[in-house]
Amino acid sequence: MSPSYLASLRLAGRAATRVWLFVVLFALWWFWSSGSKSLYFPPLSQILKALWTQWVTGPARAELAASLEHLIVGYVIAAAVGIGIGALLWSARYVRVATSPYLYFLYVLPAPVLVPAAMTLFGIGFTMKVVLIAFAAVWPTLLNTLDGMHSVDQVKLDTARVLGVSPAGRVFRVVLPAAAPQIVAGLRNSLQVAIILMVVSEWEASTDGIGYYIVNAQQSFDYVGMWSGIIVLAIIGTVANLLFVGAENRVLHWHYGARAVEGTR
Amino acid sequence: MLRRYSLTYGLRLAVLAAALGLWQGLSVAGVIRSDEFPSMSQTASALSDLLTQSTLWSAVGQTLEGWGLGLVIGAAAALLVGTFIGVNGFAYRSAIGVIEFFKAIPVIAILPIGLVLWGATLTMKFALVAFAVFWPLVIQVRYGVRSLDPVVRDTTTVLQIKGARKFFMVILPSAAPFVATGLRVAAAVALVVDIITELIGGGSGIGERILLAENAGPSDYPQMYAYIVVAGVLGMVLAGAFAVAERYVLHWHESQRAAKAEGQDRGYSERQVLVIVA
Amino acid sequence: MSNEARPEVTTAAAEQDSTPVVSLRNVRKVYAGAAGPKTALQDITFDVGRGEFACVVGPSGAGKTTLLRTLAGLAQPTSGQALFEGTPLRSVPPGIGVVFQDYGRSLYPWLTVARNVDLPLRVRGVPRAERADRVAEVLGSVGLADAGRSYPWQLSGGMQQRVAIARSLAYRPDLLLMDEPFASVDAQTRFELEDLILRVRQEFGVTVVFVTHDIDEAVYLADRVIAVSKSPGVVTEIADITLPRPRDQITTKADPAFARYREHLLSLVMNR
Repeated sequence: MSPSYLASLRLAGRAATRVWLFVVLFALWWFWSSGSKSLYFPPLSQILKALWTQWVTGPARAELAASLEHLIVGYVIAAAVGIGIGALLWSARYVRVATSPYLYFLYVLPAPVLVPAAMTLFGIGFTMKVVLIAFAAVWPTLLNTLDGMHSVDQVKLDTARVLGVSPAGRVFRVVLPAAAPQIVAGLRNSLQVAIILMVVSEWEASTDGIGYYIVNAQQSFDYVGMWSGIIVLAIIGTVANLLFVGAENRVLHWHYGARAVEGTR
Repeated sequence: MLRRYSLTYGLRLAVLAAALGLWQGLSVAGVIRSDEFPSMSQTASALSDLLTQSTLWSAVGQTLEGWGLGLVIGAAAALLVGTFIGVNGFAYRSAIGVIEFFKAIPVIAILPIGLVLWGATLTMKFALVAFAVFWPLVIQVRYGVRSLDPVVRDTTTVLQIKGARKFFMVILPSAAPFVATGLRVAAAVALVVDIITELIGGGSGIGERILLAENAGPSDYPQMYAYIVVAGVLGMVLAGAFAVAERYVLHWHESQRAAKAEGQDRGYSERQVLVIVA
Repeated sequence: MSNEARPEVTTAAAEQDSTPVVSLRNVRKVYAGAAGPKTALQDITFDVGRGEFACVVGPSGAGKTTLLRTLAGLAQPTSGQALFEGTPLRSVPPGIGVVFQDYGRSLYPWLTVARNVDLPLRVRGVPRAERADRVAEVLGSVGLADAGRSYPWQLSGGMQQRVAIARSLAYRPDLLLMDEPFASVDAQTRFELEDLILRVRQEFGVTVVFVTHDIDEAVYLADRVIAVSKSPGVVTEIADITLPRPRDQITTKADPAFARYREHLLSLVMNR
């Protein structure tokens, strides 16, 4: 056996380790459900077919698009406002000290409780969903931006003063980059919150979105459709996470590089 | 120091008073429509009424039931499994893909399945809470178990500490700060999920009360907002309780020592107060 | 106490201008500590002349870092005067460079080495082409000509400190302040860096105030050594070091005069 053959065998072995459990679980689900007569747990084969006919080529695409629209608009607003206001509060000490307990209150408030109130104020359309998503998702980013900027190493700030960086320059060239790892952690938390609120806001009395699709399917006893919607949500969650991690690794490559080196010193 | 304390609290009280005053002013002036949004005084009186009634407290109790049971079950499972995949590399490599996948599913997606299996019951509530809590916590537990400082590890080996004793005397305390952070985050997640099961799944608790108030129409909106305030206060109480417990149990750890020093300077420590999600 | 510039180091400008670069008069610094007010510096008085290499030595806790921050304009004295080029320090003047002990915290990990060095030039509005030349030049002076595209954390400790030195020299400051810069590197690297700073001082003609707790290092590097005591924080002695230049790690340290200086200063510092 040549060394490269052994090496590729080893690689295949490693890949197999990571995948076998998935395959086993999937197969279990498939075979256990294939003969199923239960209304609530239809065969996996049907669910996968519905996934294709509804979501990839069919009418549910509109719901997918609507949900993604709500999510993206709401999240972008939350991210921008969170970082912007966080930065502003960082520089305004008295305002920050005076308001921080109330910001914290809004952060620990379980955001779904606001859904009924949002419905009374904004109706059931696009505005309500975006407002809700944005309002709920802003707090993790805002508070982590604030804390991240606050925790910047004094040595870095002293260095900036000595190098002649202006106060405004210090914010953009030093404080924000140094706080970036924590800001990104906040953004990741915000994304999770946004996805939850996206679905919750589409559940009651909505006319579009994945949440609406699932509720509608459930109420019309279309459990195959319901399951397909659940899987779509799982896929969205996974893809969003992967995209985020990918972006994070690019933007924070210097941080992970430095941390890796630190671990070996 | 006393001056700084009183300035801080004074400012905060002023902000609260100003905000409440503004709310009331806008309501009275008609800028806020009374059929859409109750006035501050209406909400305040609804809140004070509710505080004396058993409906509010039983709702809080029901919410805490689902929250508590789900948290305990999810955390116990996460500690077991997390430790296992922490010490066993093959188990980790096999399971991590599946764990990450389930972690990425928004729990609300599982809600319909939960309803099908258990209906709008306490079991449904805590099962979903446990499910939501388990996946991120199991990764955090593993991270903690594996976080052993190489110097501590080598010292342990030289001192001939092995096996179960090593686990309980060295690995567990070393993992404790990570587990504590994970639990703090899990507690917050558990509350959100529990509320969702009440709002959408029909479970009993604060979420249910809010829904009922909304359905009853504008005359009950003060109650609705009162319950929202209660939910927020509950969130703060739970977060605060976890932070205090953490400080007590981990008083020896440097993160707590640093936070304590900071707290002496400032009168409180933001580091302890903020839930930072890794 | 001598304020003359050392003959080997003069430039034409230095001979014309006899205003001390740094002048401290009865500087006292008290700050609010966790357990009440702490007096870091009680009464510090000394001058540093143009082109001079002055080392400040003292035991741990002698307020050396506070002193250095006061010299840089990062902190204001509670009483007394701190002058830079004859004017009182209110903030950090543009003609000062600082090399901190903890290079890991001072260098910006999100910038490459070249960008770190380039930063002070950017904020001073130096045009791009000239910036590139100056960065290359100063990196070459510290022996890191090829390291521009690396990140600081990819380099060893000694190399990182060289980057910090290069960055502080890029904009040609009149005064270079160094706060125990070689305390965090191993002994071998320390010798290399000591020789580097002497070479660089010669090349750029900069005045240096070098804070250290290492007597050997202070005597090796300095034209004058300023000994500061612990409590109270006062100047206990200012010694002229007349060892010949250029200094060498082996021959200078074998010189009996080196041992005499060392003995004298060590007994001074250790008895306080």
